Amino acid sequence: MRAADVVIVGAGVLGAAAAWQLSRAGHRVVIFDRGAPGREGSGTTAGNLHVQAVHTRRPGQEVPIDSARFLPLQRAASDRWESVEDDLGASVELRRSGGFTIAETPDQCQELKEKHTWEAAAGIPTEVLDGDAAREALPLLGPTVTAATWCASDGYANPLKVTPAYLAAAAGHGAELVPYAPVREIARRGGTWRVTAGTHTVAAPVVIDVAGPWLGEIAALAGIRLRMTPVAIQMHATVRAPVTMSHLVQHIGEGLSVKQVTAGNLLIGGGWPARALNLAGRSVTSVDSLLGNVALAVRVLPFIRDLRLLRAWAGPLAATPDEMPLIGEVPGEPGFLVAGGTYAFTFAPLWGETLRGLAEGAPPPVEIADLGPDRLMTQTKTHEGRQR
Amino acid sequence: MIVERDVVVVGGGPAGLTAAARLAAAGLTVTILDEQPELGGQYYRRPAPEVARRWGDHRREGGELIAGVRAAGVECRTGHLVWGLADDDRTLLAEDEAGRPVRLRGRHLVLATGAYERSFPFPGWQLPGVTTPGFAQHLAAGDHTPIGERVVLAGSGPFLLPVACSLLALGVKVAGIAEAGTPYRPGRRALGTLRHPARLRELAGYAARLARARVPVWQGAVVLRADGHDRVSSVTLAAAGRPGQAIRTVEADALCVGYGFRPQTDLARLLGCEVTADPGTGDAIPVTDPAGRSSRPDVYVIGEAAGIGGAPTARARGLAAAHDILARETGHPVPPAEARRVATAARRLGHFTALTDALYPSPAQLLDALVPALADSTMACRCESVTAGELRADAAGDVNAAKARTRAGMGPCQGRVCGFAVAGLVRGGAVFPSRVPIRPVRMTTLLELAAEDGPA
Ligand SMILES: Cc1cc2nc3c(=O)[nH]c(=O)nc-3n(C[C@H](O)[C@H](O)[C@H](O)COP(=O)(O)OP(=O)(O)OC[C@H]3O[C@@H](n4cnc5c(N)ncnc54)[C@H](O)[C@@H]3O)c2cc1C
Ligand SMILES: Cc1cc2nc3c(=O)[nH]c(=O)nc-3n(C[C@H](O)[C@H](O)[C@H](O)COP(=O)(O)OP(=O)(O)OC[C@H]3O[C@@H](n4cnc5c(N)ncnc54)[C@H](O)[C@@H]3O)c2cc1C
Repeated sequence: MRAADVVIVGAGVLGAAAAWQLSRAGHRVVIFDRGAPGREGSGTTAGNLHVQAVHTRRPGQEVPIDSARFLPLQRAASDRWESVEDDLGASVELRRSGGFTIAETPDQCQELKEKHTWEAAAGIPTEVLDGDAAREALPLLGPTVTAATWCASDGYANPLKVTPAYLAAAAGHGAELVPYAPVREIARRGGTWRVTAGTHTVAAPVVIDVAGPWLGEIAALAGIRLRMTPVAIQMHATVRAPVTMSHLVQHIGEGLSVKQVTAGNLLIGGGWPARALNLAGRSVTSVDSLLGNVALAVRVLPFIRDLRLLRAWAGPLAATPDEMPLIGEVPGEPGFLVAGGTYAFTFAPLWGETLRGLAEGAPPPVEIADLGPDRLMTQTKTHEGRQR
Repeated sequence: MIVERDVVVVGGGPAGLTAAARLAAAGLTVTILDEQPELGGQYYRRPAPEVARRWGDHRREGGELIAGVRAAGVECRTGHLVWGLADDDRTLLAEDEAGRPVRLRGRHLVLATGAYERSFPFPGWQLPGVTTPGFAQHLAAGDHTPIGERVVLAGSGPFLLPVACSLLALGVKVAGIAEAGTPYRPGRRALGTLRHPARLRELAGYAARLARARVPVWQGAVVLRADGHDRVSSVTLAAAGRPGQAIRTVEADALCVGYGFRPQTDLARLLGCEVTADPGTGDAIPVTDPAGRSSRPDVYVIGEAAGIGGAPTARARGLAAAHDILARETGHPVPPAEARRVATAARRLGHFTALTDALYPSPAQLLDALVPALADSTMACRCESVTAGELRADAAGDVNAAKARTRAGMGPCQGRVCGFAVAGLVRGGAVFPSRVPIRPVRMTTLLELAAEDGPA
């Protein structure tokens, strides 16, 4: 058995960002992943950096997001993305070319105005445009658009580069990544956690559970019951398009996000549900969702009509029942930290830093008291009950 | 539009045509789809009308089979690409030649989607004049047009021989055939093929033609590189055992390189049919019983899609599947004599395939010879411009991780061209996962489908 300062379970973008933060600060870090790193939520994500308020419900989402609570976190995350490429010494195709969130109905226009005031309160500058002004700013927008907000800080980073860049930088500071090693046992003795993955057992005072959609399963290994509601959502990519659209386009009332990536393909998403969540393998895309999402994309951005759809894929997401982020230490389980939830890609630099603070016992950079795991705990069992 | 049939057959090659004809002749309602504008598949690909008028049909039995299919009342939908599967897990989604959506349901689905050619990159493979042997064959047989005036064929497998013969028939100079293996040496293994006189005669016939035309066959030779300015003008070969070192340079204005075929299993995998690694080739093939029934009782996979075996095997598999479906539909097994004949023929053919396979290097052996010599600077994925070096760098033995890291396989061909090389370079499993759409599909088709009712 080896000793470390921190064991991280899950090499998605959160695990990678935390590993970099901690190893850079001199901590000995071991990261386990059950497969190749960055292939789940962090490899299938749309990669949008959401700075202005997001639509409050993805298709099928029951509880709306509390945008007013989300926005200060988005603002803090946005600031941190500014330095990511310099920090990591790598290009992640970071782009802050701004984005539009559009509305098509009077209610949606009202929602845009409301969100604009919250954004102002959070220190995020946005501008409200009527339909014609929006089309003037982005002539690709279709005739059904009646209003839009513009936010200059919305952006994109290539998710296929972000997690690897964090991991490479962490490795440079001595962090050890162990891929293809599913964690199967977690036990605490006094102040020490023992984490077993494959043939490895590592002892450390701190465990960080950032297993994404499996976050609940990993917590359960330690006897901790968390009510998570993982889902799978899907993305669609067109063939490369000659048109250039440098901005992110979202919809305030329906599931839509569209952008053109560096390679020229348009990525169409918006949280449409996959056919089913499959945590044992790959979740299968739904054609109904595909049709709904592309029809909406064509309505808002009619030029997409002339393209071909190249690919669709689904990815799993660690949603919480209240749709708010999850981050904090598990009460009664000192050193057991969790982080996850929707929009974790945008939040990665912020949560990486926050997790380091939690591990070091330092105050977090943003208010997180209401985002902790206590709200999701049904009952806490002792680990003796869960020995295998 | 929703098409409901007893049987829907995807793929109008020898396998699909044979199954469709037999099933319709027995009174079942059958629709056959093919993305090509004409039925025939690869082996029975129809010549262009003016070519047929002037030169005749090079494979008359193909024309007869197609005529038989039509006469039996099979609904033939050419120009239809099957691109996906609806959420009900059984309705096939297609786009017709005009881009209209078509939905199809069959109580039985027969997948006869054939194969695609196995490629491997080398410096110069993007030059005009460099193609696959199959492309040259189609150009020769279908359009009576030679791929070049002085052609080198390279790669591995028996298919290089008939392609060379087709080119000779057009009066083309075949400068030589570079075969990576050493199959054409009399040995004990080759004797086994004697038990298959017809197929052996076919191969021997090709060999004799090539000998008469004094076409050199360089065994144990692979392409090191192709050179040329605006078109290939010379081909440099290396010994397969020492693949870095040039052994000869040949002038040519066309180079056709292929390493046999890989089963096209995307649709079967989309339908959730269990796949396994082909013991001979390592390629993913659907698990099927002798009648072609997959792990899904309503789905049959036949022909090359179920494993490479050539056109006669494809036809035998088509018939076996038809018999199985008829037995299930009527409750009466097909007359035992006919069933026995089919089973025996299929077994014989399978045996022949195993014997010929053993003569040629396996894909794994090919990779062992080809991968180390592949220069880092060579483009491995043409769609996304990914070099061999990028794929090699921290290869983790996982094609999907490599795809995510490099974009290899993300382009319009969905990894059909680069998949073999990517697997070799990252030392990983065989194929990229199957995803909707299995081929790029028009947005307008999707919009029209979205506007229709019922399950999509
Ligand atoms: C299709 C899609 C689009 C999205 N779009 C956006 C967007 O545009 N913007 C945004 O901000 N967010 C977006 N998200 C959300 C965001 O991308 C994800 O929430 C985020 O990437 C999740 O990161 P993670 O590190 O928490 O989890 P993951 O990336 O899912 O990583 C969890 C890791 O844990 C590993 N693991 C699981 N079990 C074990 C075990 N037993 N032992 C060891 N390791 C284990 C997994 O293998 C995995 O690698 C999207 C998500 C999806 C699916
Ligand atoms: C380029 C090429 C050339 C070949 N030339 C020869 C030759 O000259 N001689 C020889 O002996 N063998 C040749 N072969 C090998 C050939 O595959 C077999 O001999 C034989 O044709 C296999 O019959 P099959 O019915 O299994 O498949 P195929 O004949 O390959 O027929 C499969 C059919 O399915 C269709 N299809 C596939 N997917 C879809 C989809 N999603 N939607 C709609 N339609 C679909 C294809 O268009 C094709 O017509 C060639 C193979 C290739 C790839």
